[in-house]
Amino acid sequence: MRSELFDFLGSLHPLMVHLPIGIILLTIAIDVFMRNKNNSVQRVITMGWFFSFFSGLLAALFGWFLGDSGYYFEEQINIHRWSGVALVFLSFMIWILLFINFRFNKSFKQSINITAIILLMLTGHFGGEMTHGQNYLFDNLPFVKKEISLTPLSEVESSEVDSLYVFEDLIFPVLEEKCITCHNENRAYGGLNMNAFESMMEGGNSGSGIQKGKPYESLIYKRISFPQDHPKFMPPAGVPMSYDQIAIMEWWIDKGAKKQMPINLARNDSKMLRLMEVLYKFDLREKTYLETLKLPGLSSEELNGLNDEKFIWRFLNAEKSFLDVKFTAKTIQKVDLLIMQKVKENVTWLNLADCMLSDELLSYLGTFRNLTRLKIQKNPLVTDKGIDGLKELKNLSELNLYGTSVTDAAFITLGQMTALKKLFLWNTLVTPSGIKNFKTQNPEIEVIAGL
Amino acid sequence: MHCNDHHHHENKNYSRRDFLTKTSLGLGALSLGSLISPVNAYGQSDFLNLLESEKMKLPHFIPKAKRVIYLFQSGAPSQLDLFDFKPKLNEMFGKEVPKSILGEQRLTGMSSGQNSFPMAGSLFKFNQHGQSGAWMSELMPHTAKIVDELCFIKSMYTNAINHDPAITMIQTGSELPGRPSIGSWLSYGLGTDNKNLPEFVVLVTKGKNGQPIYSRLWGNGFLPSQHQGVQFRSGKDAVLYLDNPPGVTSDIREEQLKSLKKLQSMHYADIGDPEILTKISNYEMAYRMQTSVPEVMDVSDEPQYIFDLYGEDSKNPGTFAANCLLARKLAEKDVKFIQLYHRGWDQHGNLPKDIKKQAKETDQATAALIKDLKQRGLLEDTLVIWGGEFGRTNYSQGMLKPDNYGRDHHPRCFTIFMAGAGVKKGITIGSTDEFGYNIAERPVHIHDFQATLMHLLGIDHEKLTFKFQGRRYRLTDVHGNVVNEVLA
Repeated sequence: MRSELFDFLGSLHPLMVHLPIGIILLTIAIDVFMRNKNNSVQRVITMGWFFSFFSGLLAALFGWFLGDSGYYFEEQINIHRWSGVALVFLSFMIWILLFINFRFNKSFKQSINITAIILLMLTGHFGGEMTHGQNYLFDNLPFVKKEISLTPLSEVESSEVDSLYVFEDLIFPVLEEKCITCHNENRAYGGLNMNAFESMMEGGNSGSGIQKGKPYESLIYKRISFPQDHPKFMPPAGVPMSYDQIAIMEWWIDKGAKKQMPINLARNDSKMLRLMEVLYKFDLREKTYLETLKLPGLSSEELNGLNDEKFIWRFLNAEKSFLDVKFTAKTIQKVDLLIMQKVKENVTWLNLADCMLSDELLSYLGTFRNLTRLKIQKNPLVTDKGIDGLKELKNLSELNLYGTSVTDAAFITLGQMTALKKLFLWNTLVTPSGIKNFKTQNPEIEVIAGL
Repeated sequence: MHCNDHHHHENKNYSRRDFLTKTSLGLGALSLGSLISPVNAYGQSDFLNLLESEKMKLPHFIPKAKRVIYLFQSGAPSQLDLFDFKPKLNEMFGKEVPKSILGEQRLTGMSSGQNSFPMAGSLFKFNQHGQSGAWMSELMPHTAKIVDELCFIKSMYTNAINHDPAITMIQTGSELPGRPSIGSWLSYGLGTDNKNLPEFVVLVTKGKNGQPIYSRLWGNGFLPSQHQGVQFRSGKDAVLYLDNPPGVTSDIREEQLKSLKKLQSMHYADIGDPEILTKISNYEMAYRMQTSVPEVMDVSDEPQYIFDLYGEDSKNPGTFAANCLLARKLAEKDVKFIQLYHRGWDQHGNLPKDIKKQAKETDQATAALIKDLKQRGLLEDTLVIWGGEFGRTNYSQGMLKPDNYGRDHHPRCFTIFMAGAGVKKGITIGSTDEFGYNIAERPVHIHDFQATLMHLLGIDHEKLTFKFQGRRYRLTDVHGNVVNEVLA
């Protein structure tokens, strides 16, 4: 009962403090500006200092109760507390001196007034820092360029997405905006400090903040997802967290609430994938080899050879470094392959279908290391020997061999192509049992061999 | 009096002398501008710039697909009888559609006057198929066998409620005629992969009735006209007026065209209208097509089992099946955009009987095309799309009978499917409510679909633009978001 009363009086402290502030300033103003001090003016000033002292005493008393309530840290209260007490004492002294008609000389009175104002500002400022947060004053200075510490996530390059973490990069910025003003190491409402990961997990007076893997039992999650009119809904003022922000929090806690959980874990969760895409424009899909490969763009001189009727080519990317080349004449010759060899690093898709390609000519492609898609279908001259020459193509993911003369023997080479995902073998000499064997040994390769 | 004052006041502000001195400068500048380069007078001054700069940046990123085969089902097939299984409608067969579902939005004049909107559950049996467990009705037994290759979008919606604006919308991104068709945009943006054939070829099933199909649906709009779709007809002349007249040999023709080109080039140097360049390239293309078109239209060397695959219709030129086979051949020749049209899906009445016929005409060939592309490795870089311009209602238009009903136009939800390059296999995106009337999950607008299509071809739909009449246009205009869930 007693402590409840004290808590109530304590909560009146922020209200009470404004009385002495006003009265002290008014009293000093009368003292300074009223040159002709007759008796009644003198009595008003004396009375002013009395009320300053009295209201200051009450404010200090209430402040003491508030300080004891546990919302604040002792070291932060200290300056505020003692400068406040000093101010109350000073106003008491001035009142007493005026009351006994002590004769002030002018400079003594001036210095007393200035001391009172300085004490007033000190007390007020440190009190304000507690309620409004540190740096409240300087953060809001006009005409000063503010330092923005967070990069907007929408500007993150897509290649960097893989290095982002859920807590650090998605959740913490939200907490900083919504929670940390009240729940930090200096001002831990409810004993909760969310400015550090460990203390946030640990929680405050009501229990642990986050229970790994159990969002619905985690206090922090509960508080932010209550209905808004619930007395314990958080944040108590300002804009509540958005649905998406709460959903990310829920997902993160559900997945174990690890400090360093990579964002790309959302890959396995279609709802989160979509959310990240809409909210932050993240493209979390797994990158193909080409999407990670960087090559310098080609100049027009380098492409001269391809500007022949026999070739159709185009760039596959805006950087003009990947080429999609198709040979269109009926018969391919060595000279054609030599032309292509000049840009062999850049040829990524190549179509040499139906052009009387032989094993010998095929071997020229053995060094086209960035080839990912190769179409050499409908070339009956191509045999297992030719395929053997392609085994160094470590990035080839798709190989079209339909209508060639390859046999089961080619499977040995094909099995060594580490990146191979798709293989087309319709109308070749491979046998159904050969395919079956190959599939069991290489389950990740899709073999398409007819209808 | 007041009135007079007002006029006087206006005259004072803008006297006849003022008018002449102020505007003559403007008019003079305008005419001077068009004298220097007449192109400016057409409002296409950016045309050549664009060719040099923006277009050279294409593709914007590594494409997944190199070409598209769009099996357009004109008239709007009933999603409720083919793909979107709603047992609730059978359970409540004949009951009124709840007011809360129907809402307040407009209906077409064909059924808005009805006193009653009885729910019509599909008369066809639905089953789950494949590993993906996709629902398909018994109407499409062949397509049902390849559902694991398909990506269904069950939450498509459009703005238009009638055929012409809806089909114009899905083809050009606008309900109003005059914009370029998807194929034209792609032809303009990506150029050719085969100099002997047009980039954009259209095949229309012959002898079908229903909503009209007309050439502006594959028109180039304001793009240079070399990018318009070219219709290949069935029968003797695949492309009209392509053959030399009797008595004119190929040599004579070539000589003629050379001389014509000289004249046209002089004309272009004179006035600089880009349409002259288009004309030159059209003549050249036509000359090359004299040999390439008969070659690609000739299916005589296709083995019998391929005809068996596509169905008996495939030997009959001009049928959907024969066009599907041609589409495969055109895809092999690297034609960029192959658009088929199959009419007759507009079943306002007598739906159960009519849809059976439509499904039979398209089902086997569609499945065959996808399988055939797959075995040749073409499905890796070809995107196949099947769908109409909007959906059909869950209530019966006209009298609902136990064995007969009709369905009205329904833009609020419909189903399409895609297969091939860059698209996830065996998945379904989006869903409708249990009455099949509104979208419940992941709405996909026509513009989103178009944005996705362009994305698959390596184009950022916001960047492929063309300036016309003072502003930049694009296929998706100011709308569209890529449906990333579709992307493999």
